[in-house]
Amino acid sequence: MSVTGEAERLEFPRSGSGVVIVLAGVVLGVAGLAMTTHRGVTGWPFALTFGVLIAVGEMVQFRVDRTRNRAPIATSAALGYCLLRGPEVTVPPEVAQIVAVVAVATAIGLLPRIVAGLWWDAVVSCRRLLSVGAAAVVFAAIAPTDMSWNGSVAHALPLGGAMLLAVLSAAGLDAVVGAGQMTERYSKPFPAALRDELGVTARIGMAMAISGILLAAGTSIAGLWAPPLVIVPLLLTQFAFRRYSSAQRTYRSTVRSMARSTEIAGFSSPGQNARTAALAVAIGNDLGLRPARMEALEYAALLSGVGQLALADPSPGGASLLRTREERQRAAEIGAAVIERSGVLDHVAEIVRHSNDPYRHGRANNSAIPVESGIVNVALAYEQLVGEGSGQSPAKAMESIGLGIGAEYDPVVVESLRRIVGRGFRF
Amino acid sequence: MTPALHRTGLHLLVAVVAASALVVFVMSALALSNYLTMVALCLLVLFGSALRSPHGPTQGASLGSIVLMAVYVIAGPATAVVVAGVGSLVQGKQVPPIKRVFNSGQRVLTAAGGAVAFVAVHGPVGASALTEEPRAILAVTLTGIAHRCVNALLTAAVLWLERGRKVVGAFFREVVLATALPMLGYGYLGLVMAFMWLGGLGLVAGLITLVPLVVARWALSQDAAERAAQAATMRAFIQVIETKDLYTRGHSERVSEGVGMLGRHLQLPVDRQQALEHAGLLHDVGKVGVPTSIIRKPGRLDDSEMDAIRLHPARGVELIGNIPFLEEVKSAVLHHHEKYDGTGYPAGLSGTNIPYFARMIGIVDAFDSLTSTRSYRPARSVEETVAILLQDRYTHFDPELVDAFVAVIRRDGWQPAAAEQPAPNAELESPIDHDDLSLGSGGGATGTAAGPA
Repeated sequence: MSVTGEAERLEFPRSGSGVVIVLAGVVLGVAGLAMTTHRGVTGWPFALTFGVLIAVGEMVQFRVDRTRNRAPIATSAALGYCLLRGPEVTVPPEVAQIVAVVAVATAIGLLPRIVAGLWWDAVVSCRRLLSVGAAAVVFAAIAPTDMSWNGSVAHALPLGGAMLLAVLSAAGLDAVVGAGQMTERYSKPFPAALRDELGVTARIGMAMAISGILLAAGTSIAGLWAPPLVIVPLLLTQFAFRRYSSAQRTYRSTVRSMARSTEIAGFSSPGQNARTAALAVAIGNDLGLRPARMEALEYAALLSGVGQLALADPSPGGASLLRTREERQRAAEIGAAVIERSGVLDHVAEIVRHSNDPYRHGRANNSAIPVESGIVNVALAYEQLVGEGSGQSPAKAMESIGLGIGAEYDPVVVESLRRIVGRGFRF
Repeated sequence: MTPALHRTGLHLLVAVVAASALVVFVMSALALSNYLTMVALCLLVLFGSALRSPHGPTQGASLGSIVLMAVYVIAGPATAVVVAGVGSLVQGKQVPPIKRVFNSGQRVLTAAGGAVAFVAVHGPVGASALTEEPRAILAVTLTGIAHRCVNALLTAAVLWLERGRKVVGAFFREVVLATALPMLGYGYLGLVMAFMWLGGLGLVAGLITLVPLVVARWALSQDAAERAAQAATMRAFIQVIETKDLYTRGHSERVSEGVGMLGRHLQLPVDRQQALEHAGLLHDVGKVGVPTSIIRKPGRLDDSEMDAIRLHPARGVELIGNIPFLEEVKSAVLHHHEKYDGTGYPAGLSGTNIPYFARMIGIVDAFDSLTSTRSYRPARSVEETVAILLQDRYTHFDPELVDAFVAVIRRDGWQPAAAEQPAPNAELESPIDHDDLSLGSGGGATGTAAGPA
């Protein structure tokens, strides 16, 4: 199975937390809807405008950086709808109505995607509904309804502050929920997962939140003229992100293709690099590495064999474990030199350079050698033993790797591998 | 015009721009009334200019120009001119004095051009903008357009005097047109900022508005960084594959460079041009699947060895198949050994059935191969090789593309392979390189394709 397959599979969580989130979202949405139908909708034009924005944003979603939230415009519009005030919005929407509008608009936006068979994820949409609910509650609690954008600083500053607090609480809730899901899905330690989630929130999340504030403040001041004025630049920003994420995809698949070149040249068996990388990524998650280091680790695992290209003859079956240590270290050294030549993957080169050093002669005495090297070393060894063709049982493979603990393999990494295999990791 | 005349013209233009800008600036400064707002806006625009993007163009998301749009509505056109002048004081460290003066003058005149448009449509200033939203939107739109026009004209004039007419055409195509819509779009963010400023937030509105812009620019700079990383990584990878054969070192990069020259000559759009250069770089990537012993084998190859070499285009596509390149890149890699008369491989396509990029790469591939040293012969001179290409129009190459490429080479010159390649092995006589034109046609070095013997 390829790493891409791994990533795609993980997009569709059939997890406990997912069920809880969807359940909470549905309950919240239905409750909001029931209360709103009971009391009636206030401010139809605004409900309709923001509803359309949310639905359209949900329809045209795409992946942004590392967040799972793929609908930045829908998020901004939903947050914006929470934060409306006078003078243009004479009766600001109540919390129940906000929840109802966001829930209905999200469902309407998702419908065409479901019909067309495009990617959609109820968990992500429900997460958004929950955070928007939190923002609505916070804003309603701290911003009195009689305050309005009447041009005086005395009203404007408290309103602005309340808006910031509201979006911050939404972002905070989303980060905690996201970190919980990361922990469940990739077995990443919770503090490390929370740190990663907050890092993403600080960039993309804040941009979405501030755009929501701009939408809300603009609409409160200038009425329905404001949403298009904010949406146009938002769309442009979205294009920028789209370009960026497509460049990112191209780059990642280029690295993967480079890795596959060792298979085409006969130095490794089909899928070997991808399997090694999948295992290395699992270990990295278990050890709570930062996203940037995770990326370098994955690339290093993929490219660990690239140095063999400069060696004359393929080794039979591509099993680099069969060859002498000197040969493997030379290949690693060449590979590192090759990767370094690109000028942009120095960290990856460093990992690859030491990926065949035995633990006792390497990391045990030299703390400058990254733990990632040890991870790649163990992942390579385990893949050789269990991967396609050689087919040992995981238990047997763990046993032979256990023999090399401390001498050949980093004990911390082997411990992590034991946990992962114990949780049922299979290639 | 002579270079000296150009330089005089340039100096004259800068002087005129600077003088008129100074007059406009002083007149605007004298018309000011609300100094407190002006100072706050100046601070904001200086802050925006200081947040300069380290990577390439800002694609219209220039913080300074967005703040400026807000200034027209918040404090009026005269203030906008003054703020633009103050904001232009922050410029890159390496900018020479004459350019600094021109840039400042240009910004002031550009703002003045916008001011004329703003006044012409009676753009609302201050609190009245909150009651006349449609007029404010119209005013900002027209101001943005006027802004862009004055800016483009002044820049074009300098480019024309400094680098000639051809650059001006490219400037209008690639910069002005490409950034016109983003410029206008982001300008509306300036209007929203003005609304919030007038709604009571003041300077805070400015700071809030800058956040999404900074993120947009972050995305753009990341995009540029990813693309650069991509190019560097592919180049490093190609170099590894070329270590298999010392004689082909640098070949792929030179082919990429050559098709790049050809593509620019044919004025391909930006994304296709990039795809073409990628295809040139990767055309031989499938060689990684050809055993090194065959690639390095001195002397004539037998049929099975030839077959192994003929597989390399397909191997290349197999390797890069998963990279989301334009489809043209893959077809070019697959068909770069087709010949115009249909005698090439792998599919035996002929004429214009051969993909466009593949025809281009075929020409440059052969050209670089002939101008490089091979184990069995020394490098040929550029003129000699051009003669061969011209002789093989219709048989091997697309005649129109050959003519275009020869024109480019005659105009821009060609940097052949460096002399650090190993010297040819005098004992070898038969051509063995798969790129050499005579391959598979029996004649070897005696055929016209391989050049005069």
